[in-house]
Amino acid sequence: MERVKMAEESLETAAEHERILREIESTDTACIGPTLRSVYDGEEHGRFMEKLETRIRNHDREIEKMCNFHYQGFVDSITELLKVRGEAQKLKNQVTDTNRKLQHEGKELVIAMEELKQCRLQQRNISATVDKLMLCLPVLEMYSKLRDQMKTKRHYPALKTLEHLEHTYLPQVSHYRFCKVMVDNIPKLREEIKDVSMSDLKDFLESIRKHSDKIGETAMKQAQQQRNLDNIVLQQPRLGSKRKSKKDVYTIFDTEVESTSPKSEQDSGILDVEDEEDDEEVPGAQDLVDFSPVYRCLHIYSVLGARETFENYYRKQRRKQARLVLQPPSNMHETLDGYRKYFNQIVGFFVVEDHILHTTQGLVNRAYIDELWEMALSKTIAALRTHSSYCSDPNLVLDLKNLIVLFADTLQVYGFPVNQLFDMLLEIRDQYSETLLKKWAGVFRNILDSDNYSPIPVTSEETYKKVVGQFPFQDTELEKQPFPKKFPFSEFVPKVYNQIKEFIYACLKFSEDLHLSSTEVDDMIRKSTNLLLTRTLSNSLQNVIKRKNIGLTELVQIIINTTHLEKSCKYLEEFITNITNVLPETVHTTKLYGTTTFKDARHAAEEEIYTNLNQKIDQFLQLADYDWMTGELDNKASDYLVDLIAFLRSTFAVFTHLPGKVAQTACMSACKHLATSLMQLLLEAEVRQLTLGALQQFNLDVRECEQFARSGPVPGFQEDTLQLAFIDLRQLLDLFIQWDWSTYLADYGQPNCKYLRVNPVTALTLLEKMKDTSRKNNMFAQFRKNERDKQKLIDTVAKQLRGLISSHHS
Amino acid sequence: MAKTYDYLFKLLLIGDSGVGKTCLLFRFSEDAFNTTFISTIGIDFKIRTIELDGKKIKLQIWDTAGQERFRTITTAYYRGAMGIMLVYDITNEKSFDNIKNWIRNIEEHASSDVERMILGNKCDMNDKRQVSKERGEKLAIDYGIKFLETSAKSSTNVEEAFFTLARDIMTKLNRKMNDSNSSGAGGPVKITESRSKKTSFFRCSLL
Repeated sequence: MERVKMAEESLETAAEHERILREIESTDTACIGPTLRSVYDGEEHGRFMEKLETRIRNHDREIEKMCNFHYQGFVDSITELLKVRGEAQKLKNQVTDTNRKLQHEGKELVIAMEELKQCRLQQRNISATVDKLMLCLPVLEMYSKLRDQMKTKRHYPALKTLEHLEHTYLPQVSHYRFCKVMVDNIPKLREEIKDVSMSDLKDFLESIRKHSDKIGETAMKQAQQQRNLDNIVLQQPRLGSKRKSKKDVYTIFDTEVESTSPKSEQDSGILDVEDEEDDEEVPGAQDLVDFSPVYRCLHIYSVLGARETFENYYRKQRRKQARLVLQPPSNMHETLDGYRKYFNQIVGFFVVEDHILHTTQGLVNRAYIDELWEMALSKTIAALRTHSSYCSDPNLVLDLKNLIVLFADTLQVYGFPVNQLFDMLLEIRDQYSETLLKKWAGVFRNILDSDNYSPIPVTSEETYKKVVGQFPFQDTELEKQPFPKKFPFSEFVPKVYNQIKEFIYACLKFSEDLHLSSTEVDDMIRKSTNLLLTRTLSNSLQNVIKRKNIGLTELVQIIINTTHLEKSCKYLEEFITNITNVLPETVHTTKLYGTTTFKDARHAAEEEIYTNLNQKIDQFLQLADYDWMTGELDNKASDYLVDLIAFLRSTFAVFTHLPGKVAQTACMSACKHLATSLMQLLLEAEVRQLTLGALQQFNLDVRECEQFARSGPVPGFQEDTLQLAFIDLRQLLDLFIQWDWSTYLADYGQPNCKYLRVNPVTALTLLEKMKDTSRKNNMFAQFRKNERDKQKLIDTVAKQLRGLISSHHS
Repeated sequence: MAKTYDYLFKLLLIGDSGVGKTCLLFRFSEDAFNTTFISTIGIDFKIRTIELDGKKIKLQIWDTAGQERFRTITTAYYRGAMGIMLVYDITNEKSFDNIKNWIRNIEEHASSDVERMILGNKCDMNDKRQVSKERGEKLAIDYGIKFLETSAKSSTNVEEAFFTLARDIMTKLNRKMNDSNSSGAGGPVKITESRSKKTSFFRCSLL
């Protein structure tokens, strides 16, 4: 067992020693240490030494063999080597010499080489630097581009560049200081872009505010042209202002835009699309206003994540502008231009909003615009109500109505509801009617004031036809008369008639474009015309009739004139029917009440004639100067009364054309007034006493009156009808002058009494005055039996009269 | 009835149609002017009370139609007039020429002692004048009548005209009354003068 084990160990060791020997043979000296240490680590170094010695001897033997084998060659070689030694020495000398020469000449080369080395070092540095710079250069270029874009106000591209710079280029060179500076600056630049964009937006808002009225004006004109075109198509041409060609209008605006608006720039495809839409909607708007700032700003804010801020700001500012636009100028009502400018601004505002609505995504929405429009509509209507109420010129009201219709039609095209405007137009129609009535009141006043209240004279067929053409008067008798001749009415008749027709035309004009039915128009015209006739014309006539100092001439002519105007009312009815095409038989047609107006005016004029005559009579009576105590009897009537009667006689003589009944009534009224006044004169308290002589003089005056009544100053009275006016006076005077008391007292109360119309109270009053006269003479009377007897009689009669009065009262 | 005046003077306005008679009367009685010409038909009158020398005088002024067709009616008023104003229009020569005809009418129909006065109206329209003031004055002098140019529109000389005529009537009346008093004792007295006398007596008793 130990032998096997020993054999194995030896074999193993031998292999190991073999390996070590190979390592010693192949390994460098520096590495032999570890190898040898491994030998000494074991306990077999003696055996190793034996192997080593053995190997050394083997090697020596081989060397010796080899040397023996190659001896001759060796000798030859030594010989050769000796020769070489000689040659080598020569060569050595030659080389040394060459080396010295080379060394001498190589000095310059070494210097050059040093320089070359330095240059190469620099080149490497430069190359490295260039490589670094190549990384930085795009950043700088991008930054420069950004600056340029900012400078040229191309902010959206600038924003794009900024984004690119921040996220693509800067990370690659983030360790450089200048890059840090850039990174720090980016938020500021972003804010700057934001601010500048906002500034652009503000300029834009200012621009559209400034151009609102021009935009609106253009839109309104387009609506007008469209309407005109529609009318042409419908073959209903209307008179209107000359239309400017589209080209001319825009040329004017373009010229202005170029000088006042910033130049737009095609920096995105969106604008092109918008252009197409503009062409369809508002060709003028694009020419007047550059919308690109709002688009750019919107995009910028969207990219910056502040779109909501932008939207809120835009809407807020536009609401403010809306309120400004809706604030009417304080003197808007004075001229049509005031209204037109107001409407243009409103239309312009909403055209812009409508454009924004259709060209942006969500900047404004339908709800927002509808809200704005609702506010605008209510404010506009309130303003129009206020300002239109100040209008006193019907032409202005009419123009305003046309302008409002155009305003409504224009906005309707853009989808805004305008029904309330048309409702308000009906209110303005009432305002218009009132204005017309005021205007026509002035017209009528002028006509009536300037009339000469004389029948119209005509001297030729031409003139005759002209008058008949103006006023529907037909009289075959007058037509046959030779020239010169006269129409019965004065000039105000055809003038008033024509003005009524003009009024009807004016009412009709307001109804145009209001989308009313024929029946509505007809009804409205008739109502307005009724107001004109029953109120305006009626007041004008009444004012003339009631005017202080109006003469009988005017009053008489007014009676004649109103008679003819009354007859003309049926022609006015026909006139209205013709222009509204609504048959009179139509249900609910309003009737004209003009005939009532003229009847009333005529009655007023008649009453005024009576009043006027009575006033003249009163003036005469104020001249009366009776001597109530006179004992003398003049043989003629009082001067004042003679003049009075003469005046009445001549007055009725010259007014032969006064209608018969009016003349009769006037004459009767005058006589009654005269009789009543004379009676009052006789009975008034101021006359305390009167004599029989005075009474007889008074009787002469009454006879003069009766003579006038009997003379038939006015045709048509029954035989003694007019004289009845003086019957009371007659009977009273007869009673006293004839001293017929026995008859009076005996017959009192009898139907056939001679003094039926003498009132006991009146009789007593007068008797008292005469009794006082008698009593005054009592001193002398005592000496005269006749006077005493008369006094007793008077006392008796007075007593009887008082009895009658008392019994009558009970 | 107690009288509210001391004297009643009846005046008459005559002249061609359209010369301004009614306007003169209107200006004097109402101090107003109406630009519209309304032709007077027949006869009309207005009353205004003035004061002269402490006396209240009622002026009853008759306004006559100038048109020929009313001549019969208007002539009837001549006799009762105490003063007559003959009116022409300085812008209408024909109306001036017709003053002679109007004077003849007066001599034919009015009382012989009527006071007269010639008025050239519308003197505010100097640019349309056809009759010089000198011609008017000469005509008046030829007939021994007073003359004034007036304007109802501009209220020129209107008051002066009526007051002058009234004053002249008053002067004549006073002279007549003095003559009546001095010759009261003898000779027959006309009814008219008697009435004046009675009036005088009545007023004295009041005093």
